[in-house]
Amino acid sequence: MTPRPLGAWRAGVALVAFRARRYLPGGVPWALVQILPLFTGLLLQAVFDRVSGAQPAYASGLGLLAVLVAVETARGGMLWTGIAVWPGWWLRVGAWIRSNVLESLLCDPGPPVTRLPASPGEAIGRLRDDVDDLIRFVDIWVDIAGAVVFAAAALAVMARISLPLTLVTIVPLAAVLVASRALTWMVRRSHERMRERGSSVTGMIADLFAGVLALKTAGAEGRALARFEAGNASRRRAAVRAQLAVSLLQTVSGAGAQLATGLVLLLAAGAMRQGTFTVGDLALFTSYLVALSNVPRWLGRVLAGHREAEVALRRLGHLQPDRRPEGVLARRPAASAGPPEPREPLRRLEVRGLTARHPGSGAGVFDVDLTIEAGTLTVVTGVVGSGKTTLLRALLGLLPAEAGSIRWNGVPVPDPGAFLVPPRVAYAGQVARLLSATLAENVALGWPAAERDLLAALRAAQLADDLAEMPAGLDTVIGSRGSRLSGGQLQRAAVARALVRTPDLVVLDDVSSALDHATEERLWRALAGSGLTCLVASHRPAALVRADRVVVLERGRVAARQSLPLASRQTATAVSPSAGSGSRASSTEREVGPPNERT
Amino acid sequence: MRSARLRRSPWLLVAASLGAERWRLVPVGAALLLGTLLPLAGPQLVARFVDEAVAGAPIEALLALGAAYLAVALAGQVAAVAASATASGAAWRVTNRLRERVAAHALGLDMDYHGRHTPGEMIERVDGDLLGLTQFISGFVAQALASLLLLAGTLVLVWRVDPRVGAALTAVVAAGSATLAVAQRRVVPHAVASRDETARMFGLVEEGLVAAEEIRANGAGRHVTARFLESAQRVLRAEQRWQVRGGGVLAGTNLVFALGTAGLLAAGILLRQAGTITVGTVVLLFQYAQMVRAPIEQIVGQAKLLHEAGASAARVAELLAERPEIAWPRTPVPLPPGPVSLRFQDVTFAYPGDPPVLHGVDLELGAGRSLGIVGRTGSGKTTLARLALRLSDPTEGAVRLADIDLRDVGRDDLRRRVRMVSQEVHLFAASLRDNVTLFDDAVPDEAVEAALASVGLRGWRDALPGGLDTRLGAGGTGLSAGEAQLVALARVFLADPALVVLDEASSRLDPATEEAVRAATARLLAGRTAIVIAHRLSTLAGVDEVAVIEAGRIVEHGRRAELTGDGSSRFAGLLAAVAGGAP
Repeated sequence: MTPRPLGAWRAGVALVAFRARRYLPGGVPWALVQILPLFTGLLLQAVFDRVSGAQPAYASGLGLLAVLVAVETARGGMLWTGIAVWPGWWLRVGAWIRSNVLESLLCDPGPPVTRLPASPGEAIGRLRDDVDDLIRFVDIWVDIAGAVVFAAAALAVMARISLPLTLVTIVPLAAVLVASRALTWMVRRSHERMRERGSSVTGMIADLFAGVLALKTAGAEGRALARFEAGNASRRRAAVRAQLAVSLLQTVSGAGAQLATGLVLLLAAGAMRQGTFTVGDLALFTSYLVALSNVPRWLGRVLAGHREAEVALRRLGHLQPDRRPEGVLARRPAASAGPPEPREPLRRLEVRGLTARHPGSGAGVFDVDLTIEAGTLTVVTGVVGSGKTTLLRALLGLLPAEAGSIRWNGVPVPDPGAFLVPPRVAYAGQVARLLSATLAENVALGWPAAERDLLAALRAAQLADDLAEMPAGLDTVIGSRGSRLSGGQLQRAAVARALVRTPDLVVLDDVSSALDHATEERLWRALAGSGLTCLVASHRPAALVRADRVVVLERGRVAARQSLPLASRQTATAVSPSAGSGSRASSTEREVGPPNERT
Repeated sequence: MRSARLRRSPWLLVAASLGAERWRLVPVGAALLLGTLLPLAGPQLVARFVDEAVAGAPIEALLALGAAYLAVALAGQVAAVAASATASGAAWRVTNRLRERVAAHALGLDMDYHGRHTPGEMIERVDGDLLGLTQFISGFVAQALASLLLLAGTLVLVWRVDPRVGAALTAVVAAGSATLAVAQRRVVPHAVASRDETARMFGLVEEGLVAAEEIRANGAGRHVTARFLESAQRVLRAEQRWQVRGGGVLAGTNLVFALGTAGLLAAGILLRQAGTITVGTVVLLFQYAQMVRAPIEQIVGQAKLLHEAGASAARVAELLAERPEIAWPRTPVPLPPGPVSLRFQDVTFAYPGDPPVLHGVDLELGAGRSLGIVGRTGSGKTTLARLALRLSDPTEGAVRLADIDLRDVGRDDLRRRVRMVSQEVHLFAASLRDNVTLFDDAVPDEAVEAALASVGLRGWRDALPGGLDTRLGAGGTGLSAGEAQLVALARVFLADPALVVLDEASSRLDPATEEAVRAATARLLAGRTAIVIAHRLSTLAGVDEVAVIEAGRIVEHGRRAELTGDGSSRFAGLLAAVAGGAP
């Protein structure tokens, strides 16, 4: 049986413990800000008793006011300290959680595609808002701690003055607590709904700007914005409902405090006439009741915050491989740059019965067998949608495999996502994704490569000539996703990123699609002549012509394979039958052979 | 100029947005007013209660005063809830409108701008900054207004007790507000810097998530995480610089008002000593001091929102002040119907600060003819396409359509008549229908089906369980790159443009799919002017003319048939290279 998932309270304790040295110096002043009004009330009582008594003592009353100013100054100092020190805790904790989630998505077993929400914008929303919700919950603790200490002391002082009146004030405050609890479900539901709508709006924004070229060239910005407006309006309605719930919750406590003051007036009337309840006592009671009214409010916030934190934890947990939130708060060892583990050079990679489906659609690859010998170039080819990319991604563990096995030099690979990585395997995907950083950073991406190695990889990827034309060379900052580079340059930069890792096996998905003929020829010549083991998805003659082995996929199944070098373009074109043809398999089998010589 | 003024004072932006919603603010104001006036009556009742209790008035009178206090207090709370809910609604309306304006403005900026800003950054710009403004308007503005009302009411009532005390209190409030305003201005730049760093940090997260698979498979996950942590470190430093200053302002303001409260009480004591006021009135002054303090503490407590909102408004204003290079004509020249000719006239193009990408390109293409552009990656082909689409303007020279300078053609006219299929196809997280029509609800389903059929997606579409309503995930989940390309082609089929720019349109199609597309492309190009930018010469089989571009210069241009026939032409050389299987 799986243990109960991590709750918000335990998670909160972990957040405090993570940086207790910063939480306490930041939190104690915050708590003191709540506690200091205790002295303010006592001073006010003394002041009013001196003003209203039978023998007024005006001078000492003025003296007490100076003490009052001193207390308020101290409170201001606490406030300043709290504000200045606090970010040192919550930003560090935020960075910790976010880096945990990020590292888990980028490193831990389990394909990210099964964990990430549909749009990157939504994922950002989780990393931004959900993490903030979680931290805010713990942030409230210092306030509630201060409020509770204040409340206990204030009630004790009030009880010494008049126990019955104190008990009477507790009744409305207790009623507030009960009402708060009842209102919490409303806050919870409306908040969750607002968050959902908010995520959908951020998702829409990311989508709009990722597709800005398509919208612009079609003059469709206005129509897309109309959809955006509908999403905005729906979010507004949810937000107003959430605000109403929250302000009801808050008002209930404020109303309770005033109810208590009113009750004091009603019940103290007799005592005041007799002089057993002084004007100073009334001043103290009203002063404390104002501050006490915060206590149910803070409790309400803790309740609402707890709810939000639970939602946030659950949603963050969904980004983890085990779909549980514990990993979000794991203490991960710092990345070590130790020597690479000894590895056995690749002799043969065998894939047997690999079946994987693309999440969200029935498409995939089924029962694929594949053997890759060291030093060969294997080309996976097939029509659009035949499963080339799916096969490569499933092999690399980027898609969950439903069945099948992978053996590296005959040894089973239980977790390809963790094993088939540099220095064994490196990969360039169908769409080159680069970061906003220098070219050198994008190619190395943490790999301990000297400039010499980077240049060699760029040369092998046929980007050397382009590099020569870049004014800043390797230090050229490429824009968001490297959009200042052309499509072909992006693809080659991604190839260089794979090659610089000097892998035993390099996996390339259709990386020459945006290259001109001459560059493409040179790229494939360089790859085929390097002695590197390559597994590529392509239907380009320049690749097929150099292949030692061609695997033709059709609707996710191997339709034909050819293990002798293919040569002519005619053959290469013919391996993929024309679209819409009814008898694909048979025509493929027929047309694959005969092999020609390599030119 | 309007934009310059906005940059100077971003608060004008907030004020203008609020002004646009002024009628919706009426109920907000009414609720605020009630929520303020009712609590002001409370201390009056308490003061009378004290005086009468001390004087030994009958218990019934005291009980009546207590009951009146209760009724007024509860009514005030109800008004406060109403104020909060209506203020939130108004705030969301205002900021949603602003959000839509910012999104529209940003979408209207040049592609160059979008090249420099990630979608993650745009989320922060279009949503993050405006969320700050929403909180500010719904919380701070409503809060500040209520507090201001309360202040004004309190001052009036204190003036009535004693004008000297009233004047002193007014001076304290004015001094406190002025200190706050001056200090605020010093804090805002640090708030801006902190938000900038935050936006960069989330931009990095976004890029990391988008590239998650390549990062994993290249073993770079830890490195990217380390980069994130460095960025988070910078956020921390910027935030601390900001909070230390902001906290100082908060503490200082707090002190000013504490002094004010003590002063008020001191004045009360002295007046009582002089015998001009009753004990009840001293209690009244104290109560008002308490009542003024609470909302002012709330304002100051929310001062962080003010800083944040100031920073947000500044950044929103900055984005709105950003102007596209592309300016559309005031009096556009309409494009003639039917096919149009295209001319690049001595076109030179350079990104600011970079060497030119194109040098004096001169190309003429007759109406209804198609031109294939051949050249190495990075030779300037894509730039030519961008110029033809007027995504950029030439640095020198002109691009002419039907002999009309593109800069004289209206935006709608141009976008309707000139279409492209880009290298990178973005599929929207929307229905298949929306992805083909690009959100045009006026297009009938039959037209969408026809467009899909034209690109050979008929069978694929029929296999979709949801038909045209099938949602294509963000980034086109569930579609291969080739299928995405076909959907992009279908968009152009549907648009029926006069000039088509195919930028490596068929680059990701396998030979078989390409064959189907080639037939459809031929249908599309028939009777239309077209530029085809392709890396495979086979894509150019159907074009009338071919131009070869090298390092930003046209080195050869002629009829395809003639160039093919002329063994000495560069194009023929390229064809031979392909036929030989090696260059």
